[in-house]
Amino acid sequence: MADDRPEKILAALGGADNVLDIEGCITRLRCELEDGSVVDEAALKKAGAHGVVRAGDVVQVIVGPEADTIASDIQDLM
Amino acid sequence: MTLAVHSPVAGTTIPLGEVPDPVFAQAMVGPGVAVRPEGGRADAVAPIDGTVATLHPHAFVVAADDGRAVLVHLGIDTVKQQGEGFSLHVVQGESVRAGQPVVSWDPDAVTAAGYSPVVPVIALDATDGTLTAPGPGAAVSAGDELFTWSG
Repeated sequence: MADDRPEKILAALGGADNVLDIEGCITRLRCELEDGSVVDEAALKKAGAHGVVRAGDVVQVIVGPEADTIASDIQDLM
Repeated sequence: MTLAVHSPVAGTTIPLGEVPDPVFAQAMVGPGVAVRPEGGRADAVAPIDGTVATLHPHAFVVAADDGRAVLVHLGIDTVKQQGEGFSLHVVQGESVRAGQPVVSWDPDAVTAAGYSPVVPVIALDATDGTLTAPGPGAAVSAGDELFTWSG
């Protein structure tokens, strides 16, 4: 089964244009965004996020131990 | 089978809820126990027998043969130190035994750099109620049993 999480997470973060930097860190994606206010938290949770921690334009999406893989998949989409 | 999870560092146990990071404090990636480390430069050791599934200078995951995995995070927000002061003794994919040195680091240097040196030890995706842990305030040495994980 193809993993559609990277695509859905990227869309919920406002798309590639809104993502300045994304990095996997064990269990979370650390995302530096152009505009943190457009993040669709409900969509992130629907895409499998355990939680979302927002601090302005820096948003952490908690996705579990596959964070590193998902982050590199998202980087490939950008 | 009950899995004994060993402390990666020497120090004092604190409840996960006191870890200054909401991801760990709210057990978003699983329950566990945190250790406030004591002393200077030391080796952080593997908490269980298994394979090093993920390896960063400041954090690592060891997965047991049955798929259960334990995350060790050396300090909070220490990703920002970009590996400085952390040296790895193993590579990703390597088999390790509980108690085997994985990363050497210096909790005092982490504190001096302005970060919390607290070490969350997380039973990844464990169900509530499957962990048996001593109360907070217990003194542990690296390699001592920290909690057990039934499943």
